[in-house]
Amino acid sequence: MSLPRLFLLCIFLLCHQPALAASKPWAKLTPLQQEALAPLANEWDAIPEEQRLPFLRLAKRYPRLTEVQKQRMNIRLQRWSKLTPEQRKQARDKFRSFSKVPIKQREQVRQMVLEDEKSTSLPPTHAAPTDSVR
Amino acid sequence: MNKNLNLSHQKITQLLDRSAAQIEPPVLQRLHDARMQALVRYEARSASPALAWAGVWRTRGAPQKTHFFAAAVLLVAVLLGTATYWNQAADSDTSDLDIDIAILTDDLPMDVYID
Repeated sequence: MSLPRLFLLCIFLLCHQPALAASKPWAKLTPLQQEALAPLANEWDAIPEEQRLPFLRLAKRYPRLTEVQKQRMNIRLQRWSKLTPEQRKQARDKFRSFSKVPIKQREQVRQMVLEDEKSTSLPPTHAAPTDSVR
Repeated sequence: MNKNLNLSHQKITQLLDRSAAQIEPPVLQRLHDARMQALVRYEARSASPALAWAGVWRTRGAPQKTHFFAAAVLLVAVLLGTATYWNQAADSDTSDLDIDIAILTDDLPMDVYID
């Protein structure tokens, strides 16, 4: 291969690296990616390529999570994938706002929500392990 | 002494003229061509003395080396630039990714953050 062609190929691969990863069908994902994104197995190939990239990034972090965190992610991922980009953005904004609340008040809210969860005993999504993950 | 020298110059000139007249046309033509080529080379060198070193390189068959070197430098520069760009792009997404991970793995239910 001539040098200019090799040069152009390198540029192309570098520029399209994320897009190439996101264009892979479910069967072509790595075992690790499949494990992390297992809740999305049935719908992965139907998800538009441009929306797959955030999930692939999540999958990259998956090995670093604790077992409890992995369980929670497996439970919540499917619902998260059904949200629109705007809904996800709003959720992030709420999380940011909540993070700015003084830690004492934050813990009070946290306790209230968790107690409320226990008393209402809602579906599995809400019954996720409650030990601290941070 | 000086007169002898002048005489000898005249004689030499006469001898050369006589000899030139006796040279055959094909030989004259070859001599003329050689002179023209030498003049062209001389003009080319004097027109770009700053590039004389490059001419020396070129005559040694090094243009491929220079092209290769220039392309390699350009390749490295572009690769570094592209890698830097993607790293920065990834960094800007990191905060969103961190929050996504937190929402998906926090002990607080996801509904707290979703309308």
